[in-house]
Amino acid sequence: MTATPTSKDASDARSGQRKRRVGANPERLALFFVLPALALVTIFRIVPLIWGLGYSFTDYNGIAEPNFIGLANYAELARDPAFLDSLVNMLILIATLPIWIALPLVLAILIHQGVPGGKLFRAVYFFPAVLSSVIVGAIFNVLLRYDGSFNAMLKALGFSAVDWLGNSSTALFSLIAVQLWATFGMSLLIFLAGLSTVPSDMLEAAKLDGAKLLQTWWYIVIPSLKPIIEFAAVVTTIGMLTSMFGLIYVLTAGGPGTSTTLPEFLIWLEQGKMNRPGYASAISMVLFLMMAGLAAIQIRIMSKNANLS
Amino acid sequence: MRHAMKHLRAGTILAAALVGTAGFAYAEDVTLTVWDWKSGDPTTAPYFDKVKADFEAAHPGVTVKYVMQPHDQYYTLLGTAISAGQGPDVVLLHGGSQAKERTGALVKLDDAVADIKSRVAGWPEFTGADGSVYAVPISIQGFAVYFNKDLWTKAGLDPAKVPANWAELKADVEALKKAGITPFALGNKEGFGAEFWFSALAANGWTAEQQAAWAKGDLKWSSPEVKAILQAWVDANKDGWFAEGANSTAKFMDEYESFERGENANTIGLISDVAHWKEFDGFLGGDKVGVYVMPPVEGGNGTLKLPLSGGIGYGVTKFSKNPDLAIALAKSFAATPAMQVFFESAGAIPSDTAVDTSKVDSPSAKEILGWLKDGVPLAHANMSTAELEEWHRQSQLLFTGETTVDKAAARLDEVQASSKKK
Repeated sequence: MTATPTSKDASDARSGQRKRRVGANPERLALFFVLPALALVTIFRIVPLIWGLGYSFTDYNGIAEPNFIGLANYAELARDPAFLDSLVNMLILIATLPIWIALPLVLAILIHQGVPGGKLFRAVYFFPAVLSSVIVGAIFNVLLRYDGSFNAMLKALGFSAVDWLGNSSTALFSLIAVQLWATFGMSLLIFLAGLSTVPSDMLEAAKLDGAKLLQTWWYIVIPSLKPIIEFAAVVTTIGMLTSMFGLIYVLTAGGPGTSTTLPEFLIWLEQGKMNRPGYASAISMVLFLMMAGLAAIQIRIMSKNANLS
Repeated sequence: MRHAMKHLRAGTILAAALVGTAGFAYAEDVTLTVWDWKSGDPTTAPYFDKVKADFEAAHPGVTVKYVMQPHDQYYTLLGTAISAGQGPDVVLLHGGSQAKERTGALVKLDDAVADIKSRVAGWPEFTGADGSVYAVPISIQGFAVYFNKDLWTKAGLDPAKVPANWAELKADVEALKKAGITPFALGNKEGFGAEFWFSALAANGWTAEQQAAWAKGDLKWSSPEVKAILQAWVDANKDGWFAEGANSTAKFMDEYESFERGENANTIGLISDVAHWKEFDGFLGGDKVGVYVMPPVEGGNGTLKLPLSGGIGYGVTKFSKNPDLAIALAKSFAATPAMQVFFESAGAIPSDTAVDTSKVDSPSAKEILGWLKDGVPLAHANMSTAELEEWHRQSQLLFTGETTVDKAAARLDEVQASSKKK
């Protein structure tokens, strides 16, 4: 833009100047819009992160002045069975990712292809996504506890009751199933949105060529949804690792033993109940590094695919 | 425009000045902020109201402000306030490790409480490692076994004859099982069931020397007198003492609610706060509730004493801007007239020995009051929080069969040793 004040009118000149100041340099304008977000991220994310990194090298107990103890917290982590168990639980959780993607994907495709009552299903599947995890936890506490409705149903059908939440072999999977129930509606909506971009002429051509239903899914629908699937995978992974706290807190309190303790729950436990913010910071740092690594891998895959297409 | 700004600025300065002088004029006004997790409870409200009214009447210009925090978040929030060095003037604390691990943030009260030291009981749980007192106890806590007299009668047991030793308790349990009654309610989702079990069994099984060694961290988990309690936990579960699904049942309040519904015959409860005689009387009827002291699985000299400790108490934070007033307030929570209200309305066993308890008509309360003169320590109050947390975990794994008593004791030894080092 090259708006120069040609008119002698002073007010016109001022407005022209203002236009040039703000509009002349698009980069500066962009910076201006990004600045508030950047400031918020710096103040509420980056600064606490560095702060936490600092605390992780101390024996800070929330009361006395922190003393520098080097890598002692990290050395203790490597030997802490509770922490190691929480990592194993995390890996089990991540290993279930394909279910978190496949279930909403299949349901989305079915709804998209117009199964009877599709709109109703869409609403029903999405509904739990608007509930807070504490409410979901409270509902499933009533259902899954030993004297709960689910066991009552099993008994009525002639099966023996299972202590779903009080048994190490079932507690984590119960928790995962509940979280899946509560959140897959969001991925379903994302997939539905993605499905509307699948070219219908291609589907029709495939049908004319005699492709079977599963073949059209496998060769047309899923490849064209690939970027959406990757996006959902990233979002779901992050969600799994950072938003299970409410459920764990209400349903199992991390037990039995450490069978449902995830790193985020352990951070809370060490920080508050055990008065060890220093040690909790060390766990946070490890969790942060793992999340960052995971996100980096996924972003890499995504950008590689983007370049290919 | 500029003119308008000038006016605005002048106005703001004037307003600020006015507010400033107004603030100055009321500079004597002091608000003391008290943190607790109880003041919103209707049964304790009369006590808190009385303390506030009495204190404000005695100290004109001072306002007492109660801030009730959620119980399960309390120490996390308090930890944040302590790290920030600002917040409450007076804080409610649990006796034992929760108070002792926070003495660094509290004011020493030795001189200030000298005049009430003999009237009030329960000081050891609020005494730091340096031997100084850091909080004023307001209640006495303890673990007693409550039982449902109707269910006992149904099983052919005599409610007047409570078990005097482990063999008698075992026989009672067998009789209850035979009658199809679940002997004990149990909630161990957070590990509290195991915590209560531990202290109740250690109380009369250990000698005074062993209790002292435990408090110092010298009595190991792998020593026979401790392992006996862990083994009893496993055996009792195997022998069907407890309601099923303990690992997924919350002790507060699922376990107690099931006892109050008459679904199980016994429960290890408290003597103050909640899950106590007053609460059970309210549900089952005072004449239907019995109480006894848990006999030890082994050891002891045949006498059964109630495991007791200073329950909860008020400390003053180091960062309080009005420490003298705050100390006076902490003490006034233990003033006899207020304590009387605390006992009568909430059914808490008061720390104040001058409270008149003669008018209480609950049979179980009478029993408990009679046991108070001569109690034994609560073992779990002398464990570090790290040990307690690990015992919570191990107790659940002992139930699921994923660990053995030996393995659990070995792991707990490690935690005990490392928390002693700190």
